[in-house]
Amino acid sequence: MPTPSSRYLRTAFVAGLFVILCIGGYTYQHINELSKASKVVKDNYSLRSELELVISNLKDAEIGHRGYLLTHDSLFLAPYEESLQKISNNLVNLDTLIVPNSEQVDKLKDLNNDIQKRFKNFSNSFARVKDSEVLTKDLLYLLHEGEIQMDTIRSDISEMLDLEQRLLVQNQEISQGKIGLTPLLFYGLLILTLVILLLAYIKMTTDLKALKESNTELEISEKLTKQSEIVSNTSTWVWYMEENEFEFSDNLYRLLGEEPHSFEPTLINFYKFVHEEDLTNLGHRVNLMMKEGELPFTSFRVVHKDGTIKHLKAYSKLMDETDGEKKIFGVTVDATNEVENYRIIEQRNQELERTNKELSAFNYVASHDLQEPLRKIQTFMSRLEAKEKDHISESGQIYIQRMKSASARMRMLIEDLLQYSRTNTSEKEYLKTNMNLLLEHAKTELIDSIEEKRAKIICDDLPTMEVISFQIQQLFINIISNSLKYSKEDVPPVIEITHEEVLSRDVKQIKNSLYKYHHKITFKDNGIGFEQPYAEKIFLLFNRLHGKSEYSGTGIGLAICKKIVENHKGVIVAEGEPNKGATFNIYLPFLK
Amino acid sequence: MKLLLKFDFTKVCNAVLEQRLEAHQLKYQQTAFGEIELLDKVSEEKLDTFYNDINDFGIDVVKDPKKIVIQKIKDVIVDMVFNEKDINVKTSVYLAEKLNENYSYLSNLFSEVTYTSIENFIILQKIEYTKILLTKEELSLTEIAFKLNYSSVAHLSRQFKNTTGITPSAFQRIIAKRKQIN
Amino acid sequence: MNSDYINLALADDDEDDRLFFTEAFEELKVRSNVSLFKDGIELMNYLDDSNNAIPNLLFLDLNMPKKSGLECLKEIKASQRFKDMAIAIYSTSASEEDIENTFVIGANVYIKKPNDFEKLKKVLSEVVTTNWQYHTSGLNKENFLLRL
Repeated sequence: MPTPSSRYLRTAFVAGLFVILCIGGYTYQHINELSKASKVVKDNYSLRSELELVISNLKDAEIGHRGYLLTHDSLFLAPYEESLQKISNNLVNLDTLIVPNSEQVDKLKDLNNDIQKRFKNFSNSFARVKDSEVLTKDLLYLLHEGEIQMDTIRSDISEMLDLEQRLLVQNQEISQGKIGLTPLLFYGLLILTLVILLLAYIKMTTDLKALKESNTELEISEKLTKQSEIVSNTSTWVWYMEENEFEFSDNLYRLLGEEPHSFEPTLINFYKFVHEEDLTNLGHRVNLMMKEGELPFTSFRVVHKDGTIKHLKAYSKLMDETDGEKKIFGVTVDATNEVENYRIIEQRNQELERTNKELSAFNYVASHDLQEPLRKIQTFMSRLEAKEKDHISESGQIYIQRMKSASARMRMLIEDLLQYSRTNTSEKEYLKTNMNLLLEHAKTELIDSIEEKRAKIICDDLPTMEVISFQIQQLFINIISNSLKYSKEDVPPVIEITHEEVLSRDVKQIKNSLYKYHHKITFKDNGIGFEQPYAEKIFLLFNRLHGKSEYSGTGIGLAICKKIVENHKGVIVAEGEPNKGATFNIYLPFLK
Repeated sequence: MKLLLKFDFTKVCNAVLEQRLEAHQLKYQQTAFGEIELLDKVSEEKLDTFYNDINDFGIDVVKDPKKIVIQKIKDVIVDMVFNEKDINVKTSVYLAEKLNENYSYLSNLFSEVTYTSIENFIILQKIEYTKILLTKEELSLTEIAFKLNYSSVAHLSRQFKNTTGITPSAFQRIIAKRKQIN
Repeated sequence: MNSDYINLALADDDEDDRLFFTEAFEELKVRSNVSLFKDGIELMNYLDDSNNAIPNLLFLDLNMPKKSGLECLKEIKASQRFKDMAIAIYSTSASEEDIENTFVIGANVYIKKPNDFEKLKKVLSEVVTTNWQYHTSGLNKENFLLRL
């Protein structure tokens, strides 16, 4: 398909050619006209001179005639004869010179007649010559007649000259008319051609420049492609469907462990490198590609000359058939690293899972099995107290009390640890749950404590989301029970629970989350609060801000909360102000 | 196919009793719910056979007079709760009226024999009825609370949990899952 | 309370717990006949023997060797023979879901073994009393659910 620029050039060329031909034509015509005009002038001049010659010759003839008449010397007859001859020649010449069918022809005829009359007169006069007399009456009459004839001839000639002049002027005018503009046209066309040539030149140079530039770009691009293929371990290939020929990029050879173009790019040669186990499958896929023009992502292994095995992935699609040739453009990637990394990650994951499971099991069993003997100790102690109270000394009873409180504390620790280990299990179901219900259950669980402290709980409407119900319930229980426990003495605790949806990027702690939105559930209490610097520490396992004599607690409750929130891919943030209260912000991600 | 049934205990008990009495050809007169008077004199043997028979149906002859009263108290309460009687007076007044006795006497007697108070018994019955209503799945907890004259759903929830140890919703869940298994 | 005596059974592999159990009932002055079993197999052998009276109330520990409490529970629930027997799971602890699960499978009562003898007496007494209520007041045994 000729590009627009080449079309332009073609047009310019054709136009230029046309113009030149036109110029040629016009020039030819012009020259023709010029030569015609000059011929006309020449003819005119010849005619004139012929006519003049006629007069001159007639005069000569007259002189000769007169001379003879005077002298009767035949010496004078020779010029007379010569002149007569000349005049005849002149007349012949005139005849040829005159354009047939013009006025001149008639005039010439007249002239001819008049000259013939003169000649007759001459010859008559010669006949009348007698030696005796020089001038007879007849002769005189003839001489007079001759004179009149000469006048007539002169006037004829004069007329003819005038006519010739007129005709000449007329012709000149016509000629001028015909060729007058030609020089202008000629110059004009010449300039036009020059302009066209100039434009064509400009166009060609710019096109050439552009071509050069794009060529350079192409070269750079090709270099880059080659380089990028090497760096990214990819390669490209083309299959020309009609000719059934392949083209391999340099790097494809390298992916096979060979030097570029070290062998002919054919399927058979390629298959030599493919791992025997993957050969059949790949063969199938390639055959399919040849029928349907598409090769879906296919993985296969190749074996290098030195024995190294690499994992390759190939993919191809039918290219645009813009120039009629059907081509399939393919990409083959070295995925060995990917495969290797994946395998390593899989392995690590499995190890981690196994370790996790072991830890969980250990955690659970330890807590669970620790409870048994502890319970026995406590029960026997209570039996001891009940049954043997009278037999035990005072100090003995004090010891028993101490033992009871120590074992009570141990029991709390174990229960909390058990709870903590329960939040670790990985086989939990996330189900769409209305969190308001979970909050209600939590409140019901703590109803005794709530009533004892005359606590007030104000809550917003909570959303429905996919959660592990038991865990979220435990979360709410732990936080509310925390607020109840750390309430100010003599001040009934007030717990405000609010909810809002936030954009992850607006909150420092979740701005890097993969989720765009989070539910923010806030628990705000009016208890004793805590110092802000401890905001993160309180979530640490076993971390406590108060001695066990001030407030009972194991330091596990909030750690459990943190674990639960993390199980739901969320974040929990605490804010505290001593003597004002504590606020717990729970952020849970969701998809809008 | 599954059928969910509601029992009108009074009717059922009376029907069974009537049937058995007729089977044993005993002439009787019903003086009150849970009280019949045999019109003829019947031998000890025949009585025993009759007693054994109705025992199979869960009907016991109450011999102890104290037990009789207790049973009456229980019956009235059961009737009140399960038949959703709308009483405008306090239960104590209602019981005293129905049984024609002084309430404190009834209360003391009840505690002495059953080791539990009338109030507790009433609560137990209410919770039992709540369970039945919950199993039927027709009413919400709020509606049930209203029906049984609780001041609020929370009140019912709390009592439920105190009595059974589990929340009404847990109860519903368990019943539902049990149904699924069967 | 109940002038008749009650047939009780306890399956628990722990010697001390069996001791606590019997002592508690002695102190409660409930007229009871207590049968003790060390493991699930012993229990099921006893129950399956038609010569033996079926207990009114069975206390079942979950963690037992050879046959666990849960397995016994399932077997018992599968048979019509034991439909009038109330079952109380008597265990150290379990997660909320596990507790609910035992109810779903058919237990009537779940008792978390208390760490105090007095509490134990109280709990056992409540179980027995409530069971008695169901027995005497014609209440639906299916709805007998109690958690202590």
